[in-house]
Amino acid sequence: MESAERGDTAPAVRPDLEQVFRAAYPRVVAVAARVLGARDEAEDVAQEVFLAFGRSAVPAGEAAGWLSVAAAHTALNHLRSGRRRASREEAAGKDESVSPDIADTVVTREERRRVRAALARLPRRQAVALVLRHSGLSYAEVAAALDLSPGSVGTTVRRAESALRKELNRHASSD
Amino acid sequence: MRHPTDGTLRRLLDEPDGVADADREHVAGCQACLSGLAAVREDAVAVGAAVRFEVAPDVDEGWPRLSRAAAADEPRRVAAARASRWRAWLRSPVAAVAGAAAILTGVGAAAAADWLQVFRTERVAPVTISQADFLQLPELSAYGEVAIKEKADRRAVPDADAAREATGLPVPLVADPPRGVTGEPTFQVGDKVSATFTFSTSKAARTAEAVGEKLPPPPPGLDGSRFRLTAGPGLVAIWSEARGVPALMVGRAVAPRAYSSGVPFETARDYLLAMPGLPETVASQLRGFSGQGTTLPLVVKAWKQTTRTADVNGVPGTVLTTRDGVMAGVLWVDGGFVTGVVGSLSADEVLAVARGLRWEP
Repeated sequence: MESAERGDTAPAVRPDLEQVFRAAYPRVVAVAARVLGARDEAEDVAQEVFLAFGRSAVPAGEAAGWLSVAAAHTALNHLRSGRRRASREEAAGKDESVSPDIADTVVTREERRRVRAALARLPRRQAVALVLRHSGLSYAEVAAALDLSPGSVGTTVRRAESALRKELNRHASSD
Repeated sequence: MRHPTDGTLRRLLDEPDGVADADREHVAGCQACLSGLAAVREDAVAVGAAVRFEVAPDVDEGWPRLSRAAAADEPRRVAAARASRWRAWLRSPVAAVAGAAAILTGVGAAAAADWLQVFRTERVAPVTISQADFLQLPELSAYGEVAIKEKADRRAVPDADAAREATGLPVPLVADPPRGVTGEPTFQVGDKVSATFTFSTSKAARTAEAVGEKLPPPPPGLDGSRFRLTAGPGLVAIWSEARGVPALMVGRAVAPRAYSSGVPFETARDYLLAMPGLPETVASQLRGFSGQGTTLPLVVKAWKQTTRTADVNGVPGTVLTTRDGVMAGVLWVDGGFVTGVVGSLSADEVLAVARGLRWEP
């Protein structure tokens, strides 16, 4: 009874959720997919992020940046918590049919695993900046989202790329 | 002129218009910068290919799923949100907050051969932090080695007597519980926690480097200097709803203290507050109450919580309320103990509980 009463006073899902969802869903999935390398899982992350957004009081004008940062963090958390396992990897394999030319031939599954592992090892802010930049956010957008100056976005992204490249090369040469 | 930074070269690839004309012109005519630019481009292209993953999600498929999830989520949302917030509150016990806080606010004390108490909690004060700053907030381990010497071993005990016995603390009695809070509480206890923190210049330098900054020269003697942090024991009484989600929680613990083995504490504090990586908005608030070395900062997430002060029987308390109004809590320090009342209640209700508490030794 008390719960029901308190439930009534809780704020409902924000009214602009559908509008924001329709505008931002593809980009939010894309951000998560760059981290996770799997479509199903990226869509799960996007759903999780929009559900959180629906309960939040984030101003509509800041929604796009907030959602992208949240997607990057949530996806990186998924990597770190090791929530992805063999069945997911299999599912990811099937997803490659979405873009067989690129996904299957250029980036093998093993390489993708290395990318994810290397991303998870980067300092969090570098990883987020890198993912957001490669998801098409402008320097100004990445700067606003991470509270950096646009000048230091270049530095942060550059450091992240250099570190990631080294990790990938190191593994490639040790094989 | 000096060569533009790697960061500027990186931006030149993506947004040449965002780079100053002088830098662009310099790069165009400088062999060193051109080869630097080529290396930057090579890394950017390789990484771009590595993280590339083309997806074309179906918005029309995604929306009904979210819509259903949001609708299904609604009835149990309050309980779930409450449960997760309780977990968050429980996960960040006073000791964890106190670690970084005590280091950063400990008062200056002359160098001493042995452990010297440099911080004891006499009151709490909120440090309000934005979401962006929160994401950047470094952990103490970014500046040195943190070694946990004694763990809290948080555990349930059968009753009030067992809680008293395990901690040596009195147990709370709530004479007039708020609406919705009924029945007998369950008890949990935690042992004294202690940790040492050893400042490491090389670790701090790596942290600074990760945010693209240089470490300011450390004061002599700071590298390798040690600090000991303690808190607890503590106990908590929990009144639960039918679903097992706590409705009200009253806890008390021996308040955090910090001790220094070497350098004057003020030196360490001023240096840490000037470190790259610590958001300036946070550093300036911490500087604001470093005077006496007795204020425990309480991190308030500005996008989730609001805060105000209130009197709890003559002692200043800090009231926290979640922005959605689902939870409220009040925290105060008195006689070397930090005490908190948190509930799925309004701020007025938790304050009424706090002011009406009795303690049974």
